[in-house]
Amino acid sequence: MESKNNWKAWLYLAPVIILMAVFTFYPILNSFYISFLDNYNYLNGTFDGFTFDNYIKILTPFIQSGPGSYYEEVMQIALPNTLLLTIITVPISICLALVIAICLNSIKWFQKIFQTIFFLPYVTNAIAIGMVFAVIFDTDYGVFNAIFGTANHPWVTPAYGDPNSKVNYWSAVFALCFYIIWSSLPYKILIFVGGLQNIDKQYYEAAQVDATPKWKAAWKITIPLLSPQIMYVMITSFIGAFKEYDSVIGLFGTTAGNFDSTTGPKNMETMVYFIYSQISDRATRGGVGLASAAAVFLFIIIMIFTALQFWVGKKRVHY
Amino acid sequence: MRQDYNSLHLVLKDSGFDIKTRENISKVMKIIGMVFTYIVLILFAILVVFPFYWMIITSLKSGEEIQRLIPTYWPEVFVWSNYSEAMQRLNFGTLLTNTLIVGIFSTLGTLFTTIFAAFAFARLEFRGRDFMFSLLLATMMIPGEMMVISNYTSVSLLGMTGGNRTGAYLAMILPFMISVFYIYLLRQNFKQIPNELYLAAKVDGKSDWAFLWKVMVPLAMPTLTTIFILKLMGTWNAYVWPNLITTGHDELKLISNGLRDSFNTAGDIDDYGIQMAATVVVTVPLLLLFIIFRKYIMRGVGRAGIKG
Amino acid sequence: MEIKLKHLTKVFPGNAKKNIPDTTAVNDLNIDIKDGELLGLLGPSGCGKSTTLYMIAGLKSPTDGEIWFGDEDVTHLTPEKRGIGLVFQNYALYPHMTVYDNVKFPLTNLRVEGPKKATKIIDNLEIIDLIKNHSKEIIDIILSSTYKNKLSKDASARKLVYKYHIVTSQAVRLFKLGLQYKKEEELNPYIEQVINDLTLNNQKIEEQINKFGYTLNEKYEYVDKDDVVVNQKRKLTKDEIDALVQETSRLVQINEYLTRKPNELSGGQQQRVAIARALVKKPRVLLLDEPLSNLDARLRLQTREEIKRIQKETGITTIFVTHDQEEAMSISDSIVVMKDGLEMQKDHPQEVYNNPKNLFVAKFLGTPPINVFNGYIKNNSLYIGEEKILTSDKLTEDKEVYIGIRPEGFSTGEYVKDNSKVLTLNVAQIVTMGRDMSLVCKHDKFIGEDIKIIIDSDIKVTIGENKFAIKPNKIFIFDGKTEERIYF
Repeated sequence: MESKNNWKAWLYLAPVIILMAVFTFYPILNSFYISFLDNYNYLNGTFDGFTFDNYIKILTPFIQSGPGSYYEEVMQIALPNTLLLTIITVPISICLALVIAICLNSIKWFQKIFQTIFFLPYVTNAIAIGMVFAVIFDTDYGVFNAIFGTANHPWVTPAYGDPNSKVNYWSAVFALCFYIIWSSLPYKILIFVGGLQNIDKQYYEAAQVDATPKWKAAWKITIPLLSPQIMYVMITSFIGAFKEYDSVIGLFGTTAGNFDSTTGPKNMETMVYFIYSQISDRATRGGVGLASAAAVFLFIIIMIFTALQFWVGKKRVHY
Repeated sequence: MRQDYNSLHLVLKDSGFDIKTRENISKVMKIIGMVFTYIVLILFAILVVFPFYWMIITSLKSGEEIQRLIPTYWPEVFVWSNYSEAMQRLNFGTLLTNTLIVGIFSTLGTLFTTIFAAFAFARLEFRGRDFMFSLLLATMMIPGEMMVISNYTSVSLLGMTGGNRTGAYLAMILPFMISVFYIYLLRQNFKQIPNELYLAAKVDGKSDWAFLWKVMVPLAMPTLTTIFILKLMGTWNAYVWPNLITTGHDELKLISNGLRDSFNTAGDIDDYGIQMAATVVVTVPLLLLFIIFRKYIMRGVGRAGIKG
Repeated sequence: MEIKLKHLTKVFPGNAKKNIPDTTAVNDLNIDIKDGELLGLLGPSGCGKSTTLYMIAGLKSPTDGEIWFGDEDVTHLTPEKRGIGLVFQNYALYPHMTVYDNVKFPLTNLRVEGPKKATKIIDNLEIIDLIKNHSKEIIDIILSSTYKNKLSKDASARKLVYKYHIVTSQAVRLFKLGLQYKKEEELNPYIEQVINDLTLNNQKIEEQINKFGYTLNEKYEYVDKDDVVVNQKRKLTKDEIDALVQETSRLVQINEYLTRKPNELSGGQQQRVAIARALVKKPRVLLLDEPLSNLDARLRLQTREEIKRIQKETGITTIFVTHDQEEAMSISDSIVVMKDGLEMQKDHPQEVYNNPKNLFVAKFLGTPPINVFNGYIKNNSLYIGEEKILTSDKLTEDKEVYIGIRPEGFSTGEYVKDNSKVLTLNVAQIVTMGRDMSLVCKHDKFIGEDIKIIIDSDIKVTIGENKFAIKPNKIFIFDGKTEERIYF
């Protein structure tokens, strides 16, 4: 019976295997390959030989091609932006999600309603809500400035019709991080609440019998027992943050906060943003090779970070 | 000689209060804790809901009202015309048609490939099964950007870019007819179906094919519903790939691209009402889906985190 | 600690909207538990025994009634204020902590009160004492404790702690002193040197204490100018915690597993860790929730003895809950049998078996279970069907009754002395089990399917009708309506 199954099984798998061969496995290998091609033109497949130039261009912080050159973008703008977003949003959103999840898990009334509300940002369109945030953060008439009394402070867009108005880099970072954290909370809360509900109530009864204060029970029992979920969320959100793109587009539009001429043309550009802009803007002029090199670079960074977290987690995570 | 620890005794009544007072204190502390918890939750809930609220009320305001220095928290006059104008600006009909075509076909495609693959991985014996499965799971670790580049060159070479309608649809459907995560999800679900059912079907002379459609698929309906909904929502929110495929061809765009491209100039304050009306139009179907299928969506998304 | 439950009642409120009535889990329970007693709460599931235990623990609050520990009313105290140790049915050991940390956990929250002591001096004196008398052995232990071919501090500390009942920090000091010692011939001078150092150190400490205006008494307790021993309230020190953990783990014999995680232990070992965690803070009462239900049959027997031993050694008042009558009979000093939240009987285990107060208790205890017949009393005699079983002057009132006969209460053949008082049963099946013989019989007045009888295998029985005499002390008569025992 088992040998008879053999070819049938492959038949069941055929659609997946064929589609993945074309759209997953081949592209992965091909991207490595393209990243070593000089001046690759994807339309007719021509290139000027093999080279490390793509990597050199990406990894060189300065090159003589003058300000505003795309060569400097990765090291000077995209990578620092990406790292900054990651470092700010990941810890803050995880801590907030933990607090909310613990609160959610401890209440009796309206638990379902709160849970539903906190999940809302997950089921929205990143572009649409990004535009809403842009309106909220509007310089002249935004409700954020109105509520916090920061009248006419430009967060996302310069003041309307004022050529001298510029968006400060850190203001833009603040608005972007605010939006990213807002939209990344629901997933984390959901995972944490799921984890919390799996923790046996008896641990807390045992702790109560032993006169354990609430904060100590949270720190010594809840957090360690939730560590697999925390670890999982940490890895997925690090990866997510490294690939931040939709939120940038949503908030700043496809010009990516092209606002402050002193620090370059694409202030809020991220790694993935760089990759896509290379493909769409310069596809036939070697941009695909550059984008491939950047993608490989991003892949390596993510791998290193993930491995690092697993290594750290091994000591801390209780399974 | 050993230290005599028995001479110590536990301090149970640390405070000098009597029982009644102590009881009251712990009661009050409990209530304070509860109130504090609810306040924290309500504050965050407001923070979460506020953008939705602001989106909706702004979509109904007139340009004049939006430009007040002190923002109003409820529209004075409901400007419904924002919506008709937004629809027009978006070219909503075209966007919706494109999105639905792409969404439904890629979702159905995903369902089929997922069901087949999950069945093979969960029930059939064949050499290399575990290796194949690990290989699939391993691809989840690789960032999608690695594939996008080559896929873009592939579909270009196949002539799917550049305004060819069928080509563009295919380019937006085919690469997204596979989801390793959903295969994993459904396989776990299939595995929970007792093997005895499979053996019983074999004894009754049912083929694998019949068993899959008569037994497995109906039993896995909740998971399949989850996959269906999440996938549909995924297409609705897809931005990157469709944007690459349809650059320069507005008639082929999906809803997210249309939305972004129709309102790309920053700080266009006169437009804000219309712009927000457009975002409402894009967001509301998602919220409706969520309200109807809340259980399926939350379970499907939460499933990922159960195994660390 | 003596425990009194007075009119203890627990009602779980129902839901009027959904038509769920209130459930009374515990109904007017009055139990006195003597100091040092090991009491078993026995009953079928849902009889309210666990609820009672949780109320004693303080995890559930009673609807009515009082709980007294000695002369203190603890009814309204939170669990942590009661000084109880609770062992959960599934142990609830913290899976992310080692056994040591699990046992230690309750102590980290405790505050204690006691005389302030010069602990450093006592520590030093203990070390001097050890070095004087056991230097050879200590050095042997240190030299024999290697890990990966190197002398291991942890390994030798563990051994020293186990052997000399000292705390870990002292063991580490001994290890360090042992390391400094090199050659055999210089042992005595070296010991003298160490003892000198330590004594000098002690003198210095005492001088320091004197400077602050205190003196030390013979127990090395601080005494102030008015000759009063100084008392202090404080948290436990690391050494005290260590000592208590070591002492408790010695008591329940888990020393070897202290560095392991709970999931690396067998069920029985986990159970012992859970008991250690409950005992380590020296509670006034130990509560065990179904202590043996998660163990396999062999371990159950062993653990049963273990619990008994630990309880006797510590003398702590212990209450445990079980649905298994054998378990209750074998461990407890006395048993409370419960049904539907009501106390049915409280007595010594054998007494409950020999003298059940009502039909429920009679049926609940004993394997195989008691055989119950429909019978009646007429003219001072007891009848099953047409047959007279026994006669007694005390059976005055004629009425319908239930008659319970223990399986071992039957005899037949030559043992039937009085042919006028026999019961004829239809023997359907005979199974010989070594010394005993098990009979399966039928009778139309029997309530249930098969009558189970256990008799000596020497006795001759044949398939078919047999006449059985019945031992009077194995017959219990219960009122047909109230199911209460009728004595004769």
